[in-house]
Amino acid sequence: MAGFRYERPGSVAQATALLAEAGGGARILAGGTDLMIALRTPPAPEVLVDVKRIPELGEITWTPEGELVLGACVLVQRVADDERIRATFPALAEGAGAIGSLQVRSRATVAGNLANASPCMDTAPPLLVLGGRLRIAGAEGRREAPLANFFLGVKHTALGPGELVTAVVVPKPAPGLRSAFAKIKRVWGHDLALVNAAAAHDPTASVVRLAIGSCAVTPVLIPALPGVGASADPREVGERLAALALEHIQPIDDLRASAEYRREMTALLCRRLAGRLFGGARRPS
Amino acid sequence: MKTYPITLTVNGQTNTLEVPADRTLLELLKEDLHQPSVKSGCHIGECGACTVILDGRPVNACMILAVEADGAVIETAEAETQQPGVLSELQQAFVDFGAIQCGFCTPGMLASARALLARRPHPTREEIVEALAGNYCRCTGYEPIIQAVEAVARGGYRAAPAPVAPYVGTGANRVDAVAKVTGSATFVHDMTLPGMLTARLLTSPHPSARIRRIDVTKARSMPGVKAVLIGADLPYKLGLYMEDKDILARDVVRYQGEAVAAVAAETWRQAQDAVQAIEVEYEPLKPVLDVEEARAEGAPQVHPDLGRYSWMKGVFFPQPGRNTAHHQKIRKGDVEKGMAEAERIFEFHFQNPPVQHVPMETHTAIATARPDGEVEIITSAQSPFTVRHLFCRTFGLPLSKVRVRIPYVGGGFGGKAGISLEPLVYCLSKAAGGRPVKLAATREEEFNTLPSRQGLRSRIKTGVAKDGRITALDVTYLWDAGAYADYGVNVGRAAAYSGAGPYVVPNCKLDSFVVYTNKVFGTAYRGFGHLEVLWGIERNMDLVARAVGMDPVEFRRRNLLRPGETTITGEKFTTGHGRPEECLRLVAEAIGWDGQRRPEKPVRAGSGKVRGKGVAMLHKAPAMPTYTSCSATILFNGDGSANVLVSGVDYGQGTYTTLTQIAADELKLPLEKVRVPWDSDTDYTPYDWQTVASRFTVMGGNAIIQAARECLDQIRAIASQVLHAPPDQIECANGKVWARGKPESPLDYAQIVLGYTYPDGTSVGGPVIGKGRYIATGLTNLDPDTGQGLPALNWTYGAHGVELEVDTDTGHVRVLKFVSAFDAGKVLNQQQCRTQVIGGVVQGLGSAVIEKFVFEGGRLLNNSFQDYKIPTAKDIPLEMRQLFVETPHPQGPYGARGVAEHPMISVPSVVGNAIANATGIEFFELPLDPERIYLTLKHAADPAFRPAGRAQTTGVAGE
Repeated sequence: MAGFRYERPGSVAQATALLAEAGGGARILAGGTDLMIALRTPPAPEVLVDVKRIPELGEITWTPEGELVLGACVLVQRVADDERIRATFPALAEGAGAIGSLQVRSRATVAGNLANASPCMDTAPPLLVLGGRLRIAGAEGRREAPLANFFLGVKHTALGPGELVTAVVVPKPAPGLRSAFAKIKRVWGHDLALVNAAAAHDPTASVVRLAIGSCAVTPVLIPALPGVGASADPREVGERLAALALEHIQPIDDLRASAEYRREMTALLCRRLAGRLFGGARRPS
Repeated sequence: MKTYPITLTVNGQTNTLEVPADRTLLELLKEDLHQPSVKSGCHIGECGACTVILDGRPVNACMILAVEADGAVIETAEAETQQPGVLSELQQAFVDFGAIQCGFCTPGMLASARALLARRPHPTREEIVEALAGNYCRCTGYEPIIQAVEAVARGGYRAAPAPVAPYVGTGANRVDAVAKVTGSATFVHDMTLPGMLTARLLTSPHPSARIRRIDVTKARSMPGVKAVLIGADLPYKLGLYMEDKDILARDVVRYQGEAVAAVAAETWRQAQDAVQAIEVEYEPLKPVLDVEEARAEGAPQVHPDLGRYSWMKGVFFPQPGRNTAHHQKIRKGDVEKGMAEAERIFEFHFQNPPVQHVPMETHTAIATARPDGEVEIITSAQSPFTVRHLFCRTFGLPLSKVRVRIPYVGGGFGGKAGISLEPLVYCLSKAAGGRPVKLAATREEEFNTLPSRQGLRSRIKTGVAKDGRITALDVTYLWDAGAYADYGVNVGRAAAYSGAGPYVVPNCKLDSFVVYTNKVFGTAYRGFGHLEVLWGIERNMDLVARAVGMDPVEFRRRNLLRPGETTITGEKFTTGHGRPEECLRLVAEAIGWDGQRRPEKPVRAGSGKVRGKGVAMLHKAPAMPTYTSCSATILFNGDGSANVLVSGVDYGQGTYTTLTQIAADELKLPLEKVRVPWDSDTDYTPYDWQTVASRFTVMGGNAIIQAARECLDQIRAIASQVLHAPPDQIECANGKVWARGKPESPLDYAQIVLGYTYPDGTSVGGPVIGKGRYIATGLTNLDPDTGQGLPALNWTYGAHGVELEVDTDTGHVRVLKFVSAFDAGKVLNQQQCRTQVIGGVVQGLGSAVIEKFVFEGGRLLNNSFQDYKIPTAKDIPLEMRQLFVETPHPQGPYGARGVAEHPMISVPSVVGNAIANATGIEFFELPLDPERIYLTLKHAADPAFRPAGRAQTTGVAGE
């Protein structure tokens, strides 16, 4: 870990200018909880662009329309603790609260977790099922893109050269929307997900959206399960979700778990999430 | 290099400095701002040792650049000390609850707790656990820390009352506690000497390879580089019992992670850059990875020259050509006759993976090769005299020219028992013209390069008579020693003579083979082979009991050693050995053991939560040479206080506290007037063999009793002159001495201990100084052919009982209640005994349900905390109880026995037994991780299922 310069832009415009200037030699530094480890393996970047002091990136705001806008540098622990997020988007608060230890969550950021594009990130499944979008800034200007199209592979995203995620937008929840997150790990303490999953039930559209992490090169947003009303039988929904999920994941055997265990746990999480969405057994928040 | 101006406030002090971009906040705090309390444990943000409070939030300082922290307000654990000499409520609670052992994690824990209490003054237990779970601790088992924070959270915490004499048997607080809660305890990790260089290692990526070429030309010419060494520069052999190891690999590498080159440079970064510039050309060879294949005829030999090595003859029996460093035989009675007498015979196979000690302070050493030929070593090790002895043997140096100092040590657990980095660091210092050189293993090197606990494969064949008595035991242990013998050969020896469990076995044939493979090598680890063999033995007891239709508790009771019986090495069991049956009774009662039958049919995966109970026994005696000895000296200070000098190391186990209690009682002094100074130092503290095997309190305690009595004799002799009374009429208490019947006119020790001076100036006596020693007597080497003999100074027996819950949906185990009982002989310190047990149980739970090395083609895949998980505050049992039986040991101080390693032994066994009880399914291989449990449950219904490389049993062999 050596040889890089450090820049601390005060605005998004300054940040994108620095990124453009570095022409691919820059890395964006937010919480640093993944980047600091990556920096130990050469080659070192030319410049780190620390975006934490850009005021707009540190804010949690709710638009008058009811959308949640999470600045890119909002700490995941703030998301986990935020009363309104917990009430409105429990899956997101739970996913944020499931990351690492308190020390890591007190440094890690939502956008950093997403942009690191590890298959096991805990905020991706919730944001996928909640229809999250990313606000992205680059030298060419700003754009907005659905999170569902963001992940391309392990540590590989659709972020263009010189681009920066400025915010994560969660759309206004449909009336009666319920969501939940669950995770399987090796220990009761902090650990990476062997499987994680989030589900959201939109009673207006009568669909359940489901996303699974750690079971493919990217988190997988499963095609929505249709025809699910508010009074659906949790067991039946669980089985249908599990069957659907298993068609869309490609887990592998690795150091942390076998593909077989990951498939079994995927099905289990589907059943558990359905139980929480439809069984009335909300997790105490 | 470009630097950046930053300003940050640390514990109320504002600092303005210039830092390079790549400097971490951890480096800044430790090295530039001299905050020694801040520790480093993993450098990947997993362990929490470097926790500091940044703008009110707990963060890992290793994961933050210093320049990022510009403008921040930072607090370290030192912020808890508002006023020198006055402890905060939180610090005092840590002291009173025994929330500290080695102390390396303590500052990080305090920072996490402080941050929590600042934002939530009255947190719930759940919130406390959440706040502490990001801080790894390997010693305490977390429960005392959680309780300390709970006590402060209740508000108005008041210090516990101080104990009064006699101190032995009280719960006196640790003597090192205040140094550790104030961040004053300095570990080798924290030390910097003037002119010191920093070293880095280059390690092998191959498990077995020939080194064709090493080119260090470029590395030598790099900035700051003062020394570069490779194996060819170092024609020495190292080894504790078997001289089989090079300081740096020569010609061949025998495991992935073995050091092949080393660099000393002005800075860590320069050393690291130079290491990366070294070119090595390897010719990979076929590695030997499996113990059975390694023992086969014609297998590639890890040490083709084994027969020409030097080893401890008469104790160890290597088999050249069979990759076998040691074969221990135990033969008692006639095993064939015993099997013939059996009503039924069973054979089961078991496996343990290699695991790591995970001391929070990695191995670290500083050496100075002084120009006058003398050597100074400061090292994070357990045994100063063993380091010196092996060091001098390797280099042919006189013992008197080498000084080994050991300050506070951040955990050892056996992994630091012998010698490790010290010879290499000395060679680097010599090559660098005598400048001090420091080498601190990275966490990855701690896993990959430094030794571990060896794996074990066990075959246990048991003959049982109709009445449930064991008639014969035929056992084979295959130890996966890895590339070097180190302590592994002695693990194979000691675990063999303990290898039948605490039971009467009239006919026993036991073979223990310590087998070389191309993996990271094994060494001592808390319990020294006993956790491993008792995994098989204690699972076997349950399996056999069930098969013959007996209650497992009753089956054990029927076979337990009792006075008049002999062990498998022919040692007579006496009442002085203790009461294993009482330990078993206590735990069975405490968990409400009811002989409850387990499910009629195996429980299916996905059927919800099921509960089960289990018990397991354990025993262990110190594994040590027959002639092991120890000494202590007591020196008095002019104010009547005393310094007790010993060379055993208190690396967290608390021995200095119990030794202080013993010394205070024996010297008739208040506890606070006795000091056991921390650094063990071969130049100044008297000889001790090694700090291992739970023998320090027993041997050191005996030596101190003798030394103290010598002091009292001198005090009485002087007082006798002054007070005009015969010495046997002189009485001492509370640091005062008087003639019997005249307590109203005492002398203070202060008037005597440097010699008494009369008003006219004439003096008598002189400085009081006591010496004490202890040597094991009556022990014998084991007979080479039969293993018969007396190997053990003092056995400690114990038992665990557990109630747990298995989530059959996922395979996760939650321990509801964990009860342990030990015959400690005499509980010298209640707090120390209790916290040793809690810590050992939780460390054992790691081996039971989480920990394992995962290899792929000989390459260790999980060499960091990302994938080698250890228990956190969230992983501990919901309830733990510690029970003690006190049957005095005839040779123990006050009748005490060692009880330090024992809590960890048989923890996997009792968990395995309870899981079988809960699920109706037997497990044979560790760890009992969620995936293994879940998939075994899932597949158990299918009789054809044989998970590759997983649990196996040959079942019932014959009837």
